[in-house]
Parts: sequence; C-alpha cells; structure tokens
Amino acid sequence: MAPDTVIALAAAGIEDDLLERHHHPAWATVRRLLHHRLFVTGLLLFSIIAIVAALAPWIAPVDPNKLAMRQKFLPPSPEHLFGTDNFGRSLWSRVVWGAQLSMIIGSAVVAINAVFGTLIGAAAGYFRSLDNVLMRINDALMAFPAVLLAIGVTAVLGPSVNDVIIALGVVYTPRTARIVRSSVIVLREMEYVQAAVAAGAGHWRILRRHILPNAMAPLIVQLSFLFAYAVLTEATLSFLGVGAVPPTPTWGNIMAEGRQYMIDAPWIITIPGAALMITVLGLNLLGDGLRDVLDPRLRIQQ
Amino acid sequence: MRRALPISLGLLAGLAFGIAPTRAEPFKCPHVGGDFTFGQEANINSLDQMTSGTISTRNIAMNMFESLMTRDENFSPILELADSLAESSDHLTYTFKLRQGVRFHNGKEMTSADVVASFDRYARIGLYRSTLGNVDRWDAPDKDTFVITLKKVQPTFLEILSSFSAPIVIVPAEEKDDPPMQLKSIGTGPWQLVESIPGGYVKLKRYDGYKPNTNFEQKTGFGGYKQACFNTVTFRIVTEPQARVAGLKTGELQGVEDLPTKSLPDLKTDQHITILPLQNWWIQISQPNTSVPPTDNLMFRKAVQAVLDMDEIMDAASDDNYRLNVGFQYPNQAFYSDAGKETYNIKDPALAKKYLAKSGYQGEPVILLTDKDYPAMYNSALVMQQQMQAVGINAQLKVVDWPTSAQMALKSDTGWNLFYTGWGTQPALGALATMQFFVEPGAVYHPKGEIDDPEILALWNDMNSLPTLQGRKEAFAKMQKYALEQVYTLPLGSLTKVQAVRSNVKGYVPYRIPRMSNVWFDH
Amino acid sequence: MGGIIIRRLGSAVPILLIVSLITFAMIHLIPGDPAAAIAGLSATQEQIANIRHDLGLDQPLLTQLWRWYAGLLHGNLGRSLLLGQPVVQATMLRLPVTLALSAYALVITLLIGLGSGIIAALRQNSWVDQVAMIFAMIGISLPNFYLGLLMIIFFAVDLRWLPTGGYIAFTDDPFGWLATSTMPAVSLALLLAGLLARITRSTMLEVLRQDYIRTARAKGLPRRLVVVKHALANALIPITTVVGIIVSLLISGSVVTETLFSIPGIGQLLTQAVLNRDYPMVQGGLFITTALLVLVNIGVDVCYALLDPRVRYDGA
Repeated sequence: MAPDTVIALAAAGIEDDLLERHHHPAWATVRRLLHHRLFVTGLLLFSIIAIVAALAPWIAPVDPNKLAMRQKFLPPSPEHLFGTDNFGRSLWSRVVWGAQLSMIIGSAVVAINAVFGTLIGAAAGYFRSLDNVLMRINDALMAFPAVLLAIGVTAVLGPSVNDVIIALGVVYTPRTARIVRSSVIVLREMEYVQAAVAAGAGHWRILRRHILPNAMAPLIVQLSFLFAYAVLTEATLSFLGVGAVPPTPTWGNIMAEGRQYMIDAPWIITIPGAALMITVLGLNLLGDGLRDVLDPRLRIQQ
Repeated sequence: MRRALPISLGLLAGLAFGIAPTRAEPFKCPHVGGDFTFGQEANINSLDQMTSGTISTRNIAMNMFESLMTRDENFSPILELADSLAESSDHLTYTFKLRQGVRFHNGKEMTSADVVASFDRYARIGLYRSTLGNVDRWDAPDKDTFVITLKKVQPTFLEILSSFSAPIVIVPAEEKDDPPMQLKSIGTGPWQLVESIPGGYVKLKRYDGYKPNTNFEQKTGFGGYKQACFNTVTFRIVTEPQARVAGLKTGELQGVEDLPTKSLPDLKTDQHITILPLQNWWIQISQPNTSVPPTDNLMFRKAVQAVLDMDEIMDAASDDNYRLNVGFQYPNQAFYSDAGKETYNIKDPALAKKYLAKSGYQGEPVILLTDKDYPAMYNSALVMQQQMQAVGINAQLKVVDWPTSAQMALKSDTGWNLFYTGWGTQPALGALATMQFFVEPGAVYHPKGEIDDPEILALWNDMNSLPTLQGRKEAFAKMQKYALEQVYTLPLGSLTKVQAVRSNVKGYVPYRIPRMSNVWFDH
Repeated sequence: MGGIIIRRLGSAVPILLIVSLITFAMIHLIPGDPAAAIAGLSATQEQIANIRHDLGLDQPLLTQLWRWYAGLLHGNLGRSLLLGQPVVQATMLRLPVTLALSAYALVITLLIGLGSGIIAALRQNSWVDQVAMIFAMIGISLPNFYLGLLMIIFFAVDLRWLPTGGYIAFTDDPFGWLATSTMPAVSLALLLAGLLARITRSTMLEVLRQDYIRTARAKGLPRRLVVVKHALANALIPITTVVGIIVSLLISGSVVTETLFSIPGIGQLLTQAVLNRDYPMVQGGLFITTALLVLVNIGVDVCYALLDPRVRYDGA
C-alpha cells in the first residue's frame, strides 16, 4: 500500500534499477519467480480460490438464492457442506458464487486501475503542464478516507456489482496514478530518453517504447496488492450494507446477514471470512514475491 | 368517560401487574423513587412535537407534553387538557372548558391564551397544519374557555383534532415563535426535561407541580390519570439490537423498546426479565402500482392476491412474531371490520394460474421494490417473489435502501410494480387516517392519470361527511371491501413488536409510545 | 521550517476546496430523499413535503452550496437533519471518541509493529524473524471486521469477558472504557501493526547495512548504542511517512469498527449520515475529517524534514 512512501523514496534511488530492468529477459524473471517460496505459496492459495470461482456452475449447481425455509440454520454436514443460513440457502453455493464475484470485482478493478492509472500517471509525469491540475484533483481524491469515498460513490451510482467496481476504481486509481507518475518523472530525465527527444521522436513513441515498459515493474507489484484491497474493500462495503445489494451472495453480504445469527449459526460468518482471508493472504504473498523478484529496491518502500 | 378495556396481549400482561380497570380509587404509586433507564432504538432529531412526526421523538415528547384531546387505550378520542366539550347544534362550534390549575414545567398556569398561541404556532408550522384547513377561527372568550369554529360541518373533526401523529401540544404562549424543530420542551406532562444529548440520551425528571386528570382513574392511551413514580427516566439511544439485549440482561437498561426475535428464547428463561409483546405494531403491506403493466390489470393483481400464503410471508417477515389480520384496522378498534376477508390468505396457486391466464400475462418482469434496512420489508419481498415465481410470474427484486425506495414509491414511473412498506401510525390513528391512503393526492395505488377511482372517492366522502357514527362505520367497511377486491393494496399481516422490562418494573404496558407514567419499581 | 509549513498549508486550501465540491456533488447525486428518511415509515406525502420545506431542502442547489460556503467562513456548518444539532457540535462530540480509540490502536500498533519489526531485523533469518513475519502477513490479510466478529463470538459471547459492544467514555469510567475499547482497538491495530512490522524490518535491515553503521561498529561502539542512535533514528524517516497512511487507515478502519461495536465515533456518524441522506452532516463531517487528515499529512512532512539525515549530519 504505502504509495506515499514509494513516492518519497522512489526518486531517491530508482534510476539504477529501472535501467537494469531494461535488459532483463522475461523468461529469466519467470524462473526466478517460480523459485521464490512466498510467491509460489501465494500463487497456490490464490489459484485455489480462482479455480473454485471458475468452476462455480459445476461445483455449486444449487441456486445460491433459493429459499428453503424448512431447512434454516443447518450446521455443516456431508449433505450441506457449509450448512444453511436463515433462509435455508446453501452456504456452500453462496460462498462459491461469492468467490466468483470476488474474482470478477478484483480483476475489473485491477483492469480499470491499470488502464486509467497508467494514463493519468503517465500524462502527469510526462507533460509538466498537466501535472499540477491532475495532481491537485488526485490529492483531493486521496484525502478522503478510502471507505468513505467508496460509500459515497456507490451511493451515487447504485448498489449493483458494476457500480461497486466503478466506485472502487475511482477510489484506488489516484494511488496507482501516483506510482506511475513517480516512475515516469524519473525516467523522463534519463539519458536515452533525452537522446530520443533530441533525435525528434514523438511523445507517444517515447512513452510507448522507452518510458512505459520500464515503469511497469512498480505498477505490477501495486496491482497485485490492489486486487487484495479491492476484494477486501468490497467485502467491507457489503458488510456495512452499502455494497452490492442483497441477496447478491458476496462474502461481505453473507457475513452481514449472518451477523444477527452469530450466536446460533456462527458458520455463516466464519466460513466466508476464512475464504476472504485466504484470498487476501494469497494475493499479498504473490505481491511480496513479485516485488522481491522484479524490484528489490522497493522492499524499503513497501 | 371511557375506561381502558384490556383486549390485546400486552394489556393482559399489564393486568397481571395490578392495573385493574374497575378500581374506584385513582391510581396511586405503590412505590415512589428510583431512576429508570429505557433503551430506545432510534435517534431523535428534535423534541418539537408539533413539527416532528417521527416515532423516536414521540416516544419522549408525549411523556412531556399534553394536548386538548388525545386517544385512549383503543385509540378512541378522549379529552385531556379540557374538562368538558360542548358541540353546538349546528355542529360548527366546539367549546372546550379547560381544566383548572394545570401548570407548565416553568410554573406558569395554563390559560386559554396559551392554547390559542399553541394553535397559532401549529397553524403556522405544524407538520399536519392542513388538518386545520376547515377551521374558520379559534377564540378565547375567557381564560378557561377555548372555542373552535369550523367553516363547514365535519363529523370527523374531533378524530382529526385528537390525532397523535404530530399533535397540537399545548405550550406556553411565550414559545409561539419558536422556529420549526426547536420548540422548547416546556409542557404540562408529568415529566420534564433535564437534558438532551443528541445521539446519546434524553433525561427526564418527575414534575412535582403536575396536576393529574381527575376525570379518569388510570392511565389510558396517551392520557388518563397519570402519575410519575420514578424520580428520573433516561431514554438511552441504543441502535444496535444486540446491545439492547445485552443491556437488558445486565440490568443496565431496565426496559427496551424493541427486541430481536432471535434473542427471545434465551430471554424467556431469564427470571429477571419480563417479555411484553405489543401486538399490532404495524401492518406489513405490499402496494401495487396500478399505472404500469402488468399491475395495471385487475386480473393480474387478483392472481398475485390468490397465490399469497400469508403465514409463510409473515413468518419470514417477523421471525414468527405476527398475527394474521383482515383489513386495515385491528380487532380492538371501534371501526374494525372483516369485510373483504375472502380476499385474504387465499393461497391457491391453481386459482392464481386461472387469473393469470385471464389476464393475458406474457411473462413481463414484475419489479418488487423493497429495501434492505427493514428486515420485514426485505424478507416479505423475498418470500413473495418465490411464491409468485412458482406460478410463472417473472418476479424480480429491486433492493435499495429505505430513503431511495420511499422516494421511488412516491411516483408511478420510477420502475416498480409492488412496493413494500408498513402502515404503523395510520391504522392506530383510525380508519379515517388509513383510508386517506386511497385518495389523491398521494393515493398509494397510483391510479392512472392520478384520477381517483370514483367509487372509492364516493365512499371516502361518506366516511367524512355522514352524520352518524354507524353510517361512517358502514362506509369504511364498504371502502375496505372495495379496495381489497380491486387489489389496490395487499395487506400481509400485523407485526408484533416485542418490548421487555426487568421483572422489578411494574405497571409498564406497551403502547404506541413507552409510557413512563404509572410505572414503578417493586420494592 | 516556517516556510515549509506555510507552503504546505497553502497548498491544502485548493485541495479542501475540491474536496468540498466533490462531496457536495456526490451527496446531491445520491438518489433518495432525506425528507423521506426522516419521516420514516407510513409517512404521508404532505408530511414529507412539509419536512422538505422546513429544512430548506427544496431550494436550488447553487443556493444551498453558496449558503454552505458562507456558513463555512463563519464556522457554521449547518444543522444535522438526523440529529437536529449543529454539525460542528455533533462532530466535535464524536471526534474524541474516535481519537481515543485510534490512540489506543496506535499504541498497540507501535508497540507490536515497531517492536516485532526491530527484533526481526536484529535477528534476521532466525525463527524469531520468520514467526514475526508470518504474524505480520496474517495481520495484513485478516479483514478487520472479520477479526472483530471472531473476537465478539469468542470473548463476548462464549467467554463473556468483554461486552459485545457499546462505549463507555474514559472520563466516566476508565475500566469501562478499557473494556469496551479493547476489542475494537485490537481489530483496528492488527492490520497496521502488520504493515508497520514489515516496513520497520525492511528499513532497519537496509539501514543496518549502510556504511556509516559499519564504520561506527568498526570504531568499537557498543551494539546497542549503534542501533539506537544511528539505525533507529534513520529508520524513523520512512516510518514517519507511513504514519500519515496509518492515520488515514485508522479513520477508514474506524468506519467499520465503530459500526460493528456500536461506538459513537466519527466513522459511525458519517456512515449513518450518508445512509440517511443527512446532507449537512455529510458535507460538514467529511470536510472536517479530510481537513484533519490533510493537517496530519502536513505534520508528517514537517517531521520528515526534521528527521532528514542531511539536515541532521550537517548539524552534527
């Protein structure tokens, strides 16, 4: 997370590493990743959740929203793997479909951040005239506590999954933009870029060929942690009752509805919470591994 | 004057604690003293009873203020700050003889000048100031007499005057110009304000100069013979249901306004707690939008009405704390009628399918507009959706939050077919207040072009203008039957609100508000 | 020094301006009627219309915005629709609650985070290091409301050691405050302690490798002196910059924690305000909160300038 720390120190010493990476072949990086213990553990955990999510229609054929009032509050058993909730709905179904929703939301938010964060960050870093304006707005958006801004935007847009995605995109893009901007600012001043400018290369070409490829490393690390934050914040929003509207089976919603019954049916809370934790843990380990391999310098900064 | 007739369970519980309606002596506190703390569920935004109609305000304000007329235990109109009332033979003039020796909390004696000033303020900024629309003027010929003169004969005037939704409470004339929501808390009631901390609590203390109404022997409804037995009463805002349960169990709270049903089995075994269910808190209702298809089609609406299993719906809505109720009034009320009962709880899917076929329904989506803030609304919509889908109706949920759904339901073109809400205050106020929902402006069934159904309008006029009580009762029964047969609304059932007190608290009888008078600690 | 402060304060003004505009636009774009929210169930149209008029909600938007800025200049942020009291008063009453809770959480964070980070760095790659980092990892991965719920189930419901929620002010009863604040503070602190531990460890490791440390050790200075004087002092720089983040996360986290444990703080106030369309409260409350965050960040920048080694070694 700590993007401001990144900013504080990025300028101090990122030059050398960015220059180095210009010459790193991709497959060597992949090999180093796969030898990194934390990375592999994280990848494993995350993959479990992702695969479960992908296979949802086959492994959870029961409609997660199907009411069965006569079967409420059944504890986990061979028949009902995760038990049932206050409406008799299968918790297994709801958690599995919840996994799919988390994956969709996480990926979408990451995609939005990747695209818009890069656009805004690069524009601000490269074109000095835009920097001031863009960063003022950026800072204003970052001044809001993340959850409150998310609540506000979701309230405006509406309580559907798509709107939550947009809201989370709005909340986190400023932070991503900051990171890209830092890299771009440093790279802009480097010799080979100056040489290209002197040779008359167009802005777009310079950005595309020289600057952006080298700014990718910090971005990729950030995106990995971002996936985790997106899933976590979405769960928080649902839990507060301001996320995707019930009966959509997001993990946060399941826990919110289960809260009133936590004395009698604690599994409604403990199981989705555990799933959430595994997902976030996996992503954090992934991010750590990526950072260690791609950008050791950043270890101080994260 | 009327006596409190014990009909509801809550009242029966109250009987057990010693309120025998046939005692000749007025009520006397068996024990005076102690500080009572009550757990209230919602925040209050103001104690200005004239401009605020919210329940949380009324809970507290109606312990501090009194009015000219109010309602008794069965919601029938009674006199409060007046000894007698004379109606002129032309039915246009009402002469109130005020009670003597009534003092405000600041010591000032109440006279007709104060009543005039209170009415003036209400006419200016009262929440329901339009109810005084038919009043020509009010006068105070002497300090003990207050006269209201109407423009036209209105047999229902007293019922409206005694409404408790945002009543015309009597305050000192000096408060006449207090801005809206900022009325100073100086009333004539047995309790006076000590301090109010928004978001925290409101503390009241016994008003030693209180003059009880000797025309009664017991408290009844909002009025009657009231005595403050406690030294102080603190209304603490406890919005979390579990926190109220916890507070009750530890004894930090000696009474709570509402308990979640889930906690009842555990609490029932606790010797130190007395559970007091208040039946008929509100009617859970689903309102069809008759301006848009397919709910604009009578046969379709009849199909929906036919498929509903009210027990299943109300069980989910209220966690099994409900009673089935026909119509828009409760059995203990004067106007109660079961006219139209054949339309209620039909639960016949075959019949529903027949109606569906007749309606020519092609599978268009039917939007159920509900909210996630009130479990009763949400749960009843969920169950109804399943019941409707079972006979082939394409029922879709639209779940938003309460402010949004309330806003959407005000118009007919915002994309909904059935709106989920509850009628709480109106049925308690009476048949008249409730049937107001079926006439423009603001008819809940949203007639096309906002033009009243002429039959409904005619019956409504009868309810308002027929000179005899019997005539008006019959008009109501007919109007209820018609509204149900046209499926202008779908009453699902009546919700029970569960309150509780510590076992050493006696005399507490749940009502529309938590009444702090005639309640004492057992010594 | 003074120059830095004035410059940063100056740049805060346009940010706060934009923040207030964004807030205003946002809350007025939110569907839903505050008058309907206040009126509650079974409200008639007349009631809702009267409420709307009495609260000035039927005025044109620009008028409302203008009035708000005019009020701001006088220190008046309007009156809460839901609570009926002035916004400033409501916020100031709730702020100490959140601050007390945050302070408690911050103490836990610093103790556990700094402590385990330093120890892990000093004993790099030992089992102490591994365990500390695993806990830190779990800390940042555990959703704080999940931890809160688990703690409630375990400590409040099963063991009955602590209450399930509610709040007792420190001034009323210090032990009661401790009892009601411990679970919320811990659930807030865990994520932050984890973050702090990891950053502290990394920073310490980096600093310990620096030349001047080796020089100082080579000179024969005792280890503890080296660690405390040089390493820790220099490690404080990046850690200070994290404080700004931590405070922001504390306020964010307090939204959920206060709702979960029914604590009447700023987070709960603002959430309820948004849910009930309490426009003045959202506008004013968010403004005050973000102004505070901006101030904290300025303070952090100042500390950073103070701690910067270039400044320090110039003086030494």
